[in-house]
Amino acid sequence: MNQQQKPESFIPALIAGAAAGALSGVPLLGCLCCLWIIGGGMLAVHLASKSFPGNLTAGDGALIGALAGVIAAVVDTLISIPFQALNAELMQRLMERFAEYSADLPGNWREIMERGIGQPSPGWFFLGLVISAAIFAVLGAVGGVIGASLFGKKPAPPAPSAPPVQGATDVPKDPSHS
Amino acid sequence: MLKPGMKNRTKAWRIYALTLTGILVWLTSLGLAPYFRSRGIRLNSLIYSAFAPTCHQIPSRSFHICGFPLAVCGRCTGIYVGFLAGMLAVPLLKAIGRTRPPTILPLIVWTFPLAADAAANFLGIWSSGIWLRFGVGFLWGTILPFYLLAGLNSLFLREGPEKSGRETGSRP
Repeated sequence: MNQQQKPESFIPALIAGAAAGALSGVPLLGCLCCLWIIGGGMLAVHLASKSFPGNLTAGDGALIGALAGVIAAVVDTLISIPFQALNAELMQRLMERFAEYSADLPGNWREIMERGIGQPSPGWFFLGLVISAAIFAVLGAVGGVIGASLFGKKPAPPAPSAPPVQGATDVPKDPSHS
Repeated sequence: MLKPGMKNRTKAWRIYALTLTGILVWLTSLGLAPYFRSRGIRLNSLIYSAFAPTCHQIPSRSFHICGFPLAVCGRCTGIYVGFLAGMLAVPLLKAIGRTRPPTILPLIVWTFPLAADAAANFLGIWSSGIWLRFGVGFLWGTILPFYLLAGLNSLFLREGPEKSGRETGSRP
């Protein structure tokens, strides 16, 4: 591939990353685990290859996929916020129900539960987002390389055949060559 | 002075070592999350929340350490352990320094058990135990390093023309 010519990576990564992040952020659909992000990386490379005339290398795929992964992490985090609030409310109700049966539970059950559902502070939240972005970037890069393997190669254009030279057979021989 | 081919080879080994370190840190953090939770160390919530977007983290589908689930489910644990196994197999298969990923056929073959198990669970045909989930995840994880390393090599080993050979871009 030409070194100067690079595929457009941001828009494909934005579209595919947003889709993958949205799908992985929804609780029921999230059961496919990291596959959404790997799929997002593949989709980003597919979109990039459509607008790029040359072949995409595995390195191009890794870069585009990693970018899609980072975008997916941000989108996923944003989408997860309302669901986390919902989960916290459900957990609160569950704890209230537990309290009715507290005599049958171990002495430190409340401590165990609170330890388990402790809400992170904003600082922890952003640190978690950075780590998630790193994890997503790796998974997206894997998907991007797979995508480059799938969609990166364009069929080679047919080799241009030399046009027939009109009257070539009529060219008189140079007498000096004989 | 090192020849370009030798320089690329050293670089390829460095990329491999860094990736191997990364997956080891990754796996260690999965195990540290339940350990920290059992000791009441707050760092546990950071690790759990960092892995939450990549996994449903359902406790009944996760392995447990110190009485608490790992930071990801059994299937994801299998994928990451399989990734480590694949990384260890890379030097044995002389795939260090390859810049071209394998063809898509091995990926399809390796993905089939995972896809079949996930689909069967989703459709209610059968319900896999945690070890089957781990197994299909493990199998799938073993193929991934060959793609990731090819991508990283392609990114960082661009300078200098690569010579032909098993370690420089030939397909498996």
